Amino acid sequence: MKKILVVDDSPVARKILISCMPKDFPLEITEAGDGLSGLHKFETLKPDITFIDLTMPVMGGMEVLESIRKTSPQSIVVVASADAQPTTQERCMSLGAFALLRKPPSVVSVAEIFSAIQDYLGKK
Amino acid sequence: MDISDEKILTNSEKEILQEIMNIGFGAASADLAEIIDVHVILSVPTILVLSPSELLSYIVSEVGPAKDLSIIEQNFHSKFSGMAMLVFSTGSGKDFLFMLRKENATDLFESESIEQFEKEVLKEVGNTLISACVGKISELLGDFATYSPPNVLTGRLADSGFSKNILDPANVVIMLQTCFNFSGKNLKGYLFLITSHDSIDWLRQSIHLFMKQYE
Repeated sequence: MKKILVVDDSPVARKILISCMPKDFPLEITEAGDGLSGLHKFETLKPDITFIDLTMPVMGGMEVLESIRKTSPQSIVVVASADAQPTTQERCMSLGAFALLRKPPSVVSVAEIFSAIQDYLGKK
Repeated sequence: MDISDEKILTNSEKEILQEIMNIGFGAASADLAEIIDVHVILSVPTILVLSPSELLSYIVSEVGPAKDLSIIEQNFHSKFSGMAMLVFSTGSGKDFLFMLRKENATDLFESESIEQFEKEVLKEVGNTLISACVGKISELLGDFATYSPPNVLTGRLADSGFSKNILDPANVVIMLQTCFNFSGKNLKGYLFLITSHDSIDWLRQSIHLFMKQYE
């Protein structure tokens, strides 16, 4: 069972992302509606994969990403964002994001992310 | 029409539209990065239903007095039709001049004066942001938008520049708003997409169709 944490202030965005996740293996999915509660849930749950949005109230996604990667450098964090600027992508990767998932996600794009994660974990 | 009536847009429909806008604004910022050399920080989009008489005072409360504004307005046409307004404080054209990537600046140097040059820059920025944003929203909702040429209103002109069809009292204004914050610069732009109740029925149908693919 893979533990997934989805952090996004938009319940619609969370629903879209979750609906695109693969159905062929069991996932335990937890949601958070802002960056700060996302960080708290990360610390309690220790999820296998965390998806975070960037534009969020209370605490933005970059801050959450930075904090998670500092405290748990082995964690897998995927940034799911509508912000497609090259500078944003560069910053996310420099902060240790595993991958970027451009919104709106699709079944195919999410499957590719999961596949890349599996490959990465298989090589470790 | 009672604009506070949830029959215009329910909270659930507003949430869906907000996420669609978020995606549209994200696409717009990426397109803008092709012509200016500054990172854009996006804000969480806002959706408001207003009467036309409330629109100007709302914009002024968000952005500043009407005479100190530069406004790029552009009509868009599709089943979701209306006007897009990109609003900056006066003098922003000069700020954008310095942010332009060199390969995009050369054509604009043919302008006759600095004021004209600034206007052309604002037009370029406005056209890029508006068409990317509206285009993406239309695409997500299964439609295709076309555009009238953008129009730049600056200084005193901005005071009287709001199109009459927007201020038609028979309209309900649905305002979709975000703020583009330009990193490291004291420069903010507000993008308002203004549509009327003529588009509402189609908008609501297409919002529900959009979400159906995720159920």
